Amino acid sequence: MSPASPGAAQPSRVRRWLSEPLLHFLVIGGALFAVYGALNPTPAVSSQANQIRLTRDDLRQMAMVWAASWQRPPTPEEMHSLIENKVRDEILYRESLALGLDQNDTIVRRRLAQKMEFLAEDTSAIRDPAAEELKAWFEENRARFALPGRMSFRHVYFSPDQRGPGARDAAVEALRKLAGKPADSPVVAGIGDRFMFQDYYADRVPEQVASVFGAAFAQSLSGLAPGGWLGPVESGLGWHLVFVDSITPGRVPLFDEIEPEVKAEWFNAQRAEAKRNVFAAMRARYEVVLPPPDDQDAPLSGAASTLKSR
Amino acid sequence: MRSRPRTIAVAVLGVGLLSLTSAAAFAQQKNPERNVYYGETHLHTSWSFDAYAFGDTRTGPESFYQYATGKPTLHPGGYQVTITKPLDWGAVTEHAEYMGMVQEAMDPESPLRKSSPLLARVYEEGVRADGLLAFKVLSLAIAKGLPIKEFSDPAVVAPVWKRIVDIADRYNKPGKFTTFAAYEWTSTPDSKNLHRNIFFRDSKKVPQVPFTPLDSPDPRDLWSWMDKQRAAGNELLAISHNANLSNGMMFPTEVDHTGRPIDRAWAEARLRNEPLTEMKQVKGQSETTPGLSPNDEFANYEVFVWHLLGKKGPPPSEYGSYVRQAYKDGITMEQARGFNPYKFGVVGGSDSHVSVVPYRQKNFFGVHGTVDDTIEKRIDGATVLGLNSLWVTPAGLSAVWAEENTRDALFDAMKRKETYSTSGVRIALRFFGGWGMDAGMLKQKEWVKAAYATGVPMGADLPKPASKAPSFVVWATKDPDSANLDRLQIVKGWSVSGQSFEKVYDVAWAGARKPDRVTGKVPAIGSTVDIGKGTYSNSIGAVELKTVWTDPDFDPGLDAFYYVRALEIPTPRWSTMQAVKLGRVPPSGSGFSAIIQERAWSSPIWYTPGAQARKAVKAGVTIADLGRQGAALLSDQQLKDLLVGKTVKVRNTVTGQHFEILHGTTGRRLITAIDGKATDLRAAGEMMHGGDLDYEIRDGRLRTDLNGSEFDVAVYKLGDRYLAARSNEFGYANYEVEPLKE
Repeated sequence: MSPASPGAAQPSRVRRWLSEPLLHFLVIGGALFAVYGALNPTPAVSSQANQIRLTRDDLRQMAMVWAASWQRPPTPEEMHSLIENKVRDEILYRESLALGLDQNDTIVRRRLAQKMEFLAEDTSAIRDPAAEELKAWFEENRARFALPGRMSFRHVYFSPDQRGPGARDAAVEALRKLAGKPADSPVVAGIGDRFMFQDYYADRVPEQVASVFGAAFAQSLSGLAPGGWLGPVESGLGWHLVFVDSITPGRVPLFDEIEPEVKAEWFNAQRAEAKRNVFAAMRARYEVVLPPPDDQDAPLSGAASTLKSR
Repeated sequence: MRSRPRTIAVAVLGVGLLSLTSAAAFAQQKNPERNVYYGETHLHTSWSFDAYAFGDTRTGPESFYQYATGKPTLHPGGYQVTITKPLDWGAVTEHAEYMGMVQEAMDPESPLRKSSPLLARVYEEGVRADGLLAFKVLSLAIAKGLPIKEFSDPAVVAPVWKRIVDIADRYNKPGKFTTFAAYEWTSTPDSKNLHRNIFFRDSKKVPQVPFTPLDSPDPRDLWSWMDKQRAAGNELLAISHNANLSNGMMFPTEVDHTGRPIDRAWAEARLRNEPLTEMKQVKGQSETTPGLSPNDEFANYEVFVWHLLGKKGPPPSEYGSYVRQAYKDGITMEQARGFNPYKFGVVGGSDSHVSVVPYRQKNFFGVHGTVDDTIEKRIDGATVLGLNSLWVTPAGLSAVWAEENTRDALFDAMKRKETYSTSGVRIALRFFGGWGMDAGMLKQKEWVKAAYATGVPMGADLPKPASKAPSFVVWATKDPDSANLDRLQIVKGWSVSGQSFEKVYDVAWAGARKPDRVTGKVPAIGSTVDIGKGTYSNSIGAVELKTVWTDPDFDPGLDAFYYVRALEIPTPRWSTMQAVKLGRVPPSGSGFSAIIQERAWSSPIWYTPGAQARKAVKAGVTIADLGRQGAALLSDQQLKDLLVGKTVKVRNTVTGQHFEILHGTTGRRLITAIDGKATDLRAAGEMMHGGDLDYEIRDGRLRTDLNGSEFDVAVYKLGDRYLAARSNEFGYANYEVEPLKE
């Protein structure tokens, strides 16, 4: 209305405004924001969403889970592989979130349907290989198709049931009699103990030998030279003298023998390659941070160069 | 796992490649003396709706076949596992109910999504939100008779079943690795386990959709469906499992789970369709318990006590839940009623729900998805639905004696029961029975040929007697990658007048031990287990054990069975080894110990007396006889007058044992003396179990509860004598009751 009575010391306009509660509120609020901002700077360029951080405990956990199955800690190569697998899982998870998998999306639904690897949706793009292409690929990847070696062998058994701890010595003693003798020497009949399975095995692969004698024997057998009595070799059932008759070395079959299998493997390889490429593109956008190695975690430090250490 | 058919075909061919060698080399001749083939009869992948709930969301039937043939395979816990020794054969047995439905619900192209889009989306969301809850809801709904019929629509189920059969066919490599079309009929009425695995001989005429418990949970209906399948040219068989979780319902003696009396038709249908049962799996063994076999010092082995789906309740009934008791009840039924439904052989299995299977203590990984997939979770006793991971044990292994490794040969062997089960290790075991088997037979190298010629193998019936007592050839060799053998035993059961008895004979053992002069038992072999390290050594025990044993207590007038149990020396359990890794104390519980003895159990050989032989046995007194003689059943009041507050002398007329029993006024009964000697409260005899128990007189019966099962006694007065009949003695009245003069 009318201004304050003239002559009285009236509060200036500014004064009045300065005492406005709203202004106080704004100032205090602004001050709070400023202080907060100063104390909590927004993070640097790479956003948290694109960083995958693994802690020492994560790595230890992975090593322990591995050791549970393999009865030994992982080698640096294996550890690297475990880390990559974990990183891969994390990336796939985040990518799926980025796609809004919790929302209704046809692309997303299709990926869910495949479930195993949602990167594999483009398998339809893999066409039949040309004959020459397949042959060439086969030549490059021959090792994959190698058949295991086979061994034919005869053996004499020394039973711990009959001889107790003396079984090995008996075998050593018997070897003296057998050294230089042929596989079917009559001397064989007079030494050793009756074996509960076969005395002669023809053309067996290591897996078959292991199922009768145990894994250690199968392994020892592959190191024996043919043509003479050797030993003593230990098995899960006792001690043996062995005469390896023949070794058919593992061979790679001719292309024509196994063309359907080669084709199947080729498709597998193509699918794997496609998946690898798509994933590599995604991977390139991520930064992985690992704890620095120290003495305790020596095996963990085998992480390769693509992983950065802080 | 919906994928283009061609891709599946080529992928599978490629996968099969690495285990394939040229056909000629692996085509081994048929062996008339038969080889042993080790395999798996029972497991689930994520296509079973409960596996999904436990955290296995990725595996499928192919995962198991790859694992079984030796390839490293992904465990749902995120790590690779490799089988210690590849199997010779195996079959994936998904639950028939809602088989593959989670995958179908998630696939927008599936018939389910097309026919019931809303339901499929709801299921998909439910499983993703909380798989375990979704499973609980669905299984309770099934148990209450409220199945989701859209999930059982043949149009929806048939393609899933076909995929399972096709995958099995693709991995079937005759002579190298055998698979079967199979599934699990998971009947669980009132949370009682009546599960069976159904195996088809081949896949030529498999039905479009399997018979599920949603069609009917009654085994009678399953057998009737199986008979029809057989008539249509589709040969098949059923393997029951987890009898130990059936609360007495798997091997009933009087009435089945619906209350219908067991009769000849039921017994014959069962025998025709169920030649086998699963003796051991990850949820324990079903041979026997210390309660049922108090004189068997090896009975306390992996006794798994749990109500299915975590339902709460009193401890499950042991009678009717274990194989040895079922064998005894079976031969008793043969004697008393003329039929025996329980003449099955045994195999092992896993019941893994992660597609991959641990058979050994050393390589033990979890089998319930992500519940028990790490050492910590297992040793901490992670529990799902009341099932504690510490109780879980490696899978049992099935062993089959067959001429070659093909579907026909293995299926035939299963039908004739020439099979045995191990606790997971590869103990080679042979068992033959006959008359006049030469004691020197084992000295020849070709003894197996002679045994087949002069006797019958495990699973068979002894021919008519040709000598005073039967003899048995038993042979076992240790698993070359496991522990030495401790002993071989023959478990004999026989029946007289409605009662049955068991005795475990030690027939061959390692070392120079002598049987105890009084008990006849061979003492324990001792232990090389270093529990602090979780290791053992093979410095004790034997590589091979064998003998020819003649039954010293044979009575040609009595029905009997004989089966072999082979035991390894003591070794550390997986829980001991894994606890040591974590620096913790090795756990043990009421059903499991820190140190175990791995074992094998053979299928039995049965002896059934001919009519002439039976006549030679003194006939027992039956209730019918008493009726004919005019005996009167005592009423409740008369029972009370006779028993309560008084000591009575009870004589078992079959065994001659007499007991003095005091029935107290407060509802407790006490056996005060056995055969004239005061009893140790804890001593439990075969018949009237010792100890201090509750009793009740009601509706003309004296009732007591033993190991979870009720036993009733009816007392009759004939003249001035009192005679009693116990409810589990098939109509015989084998007890004389005499009040003691005060």
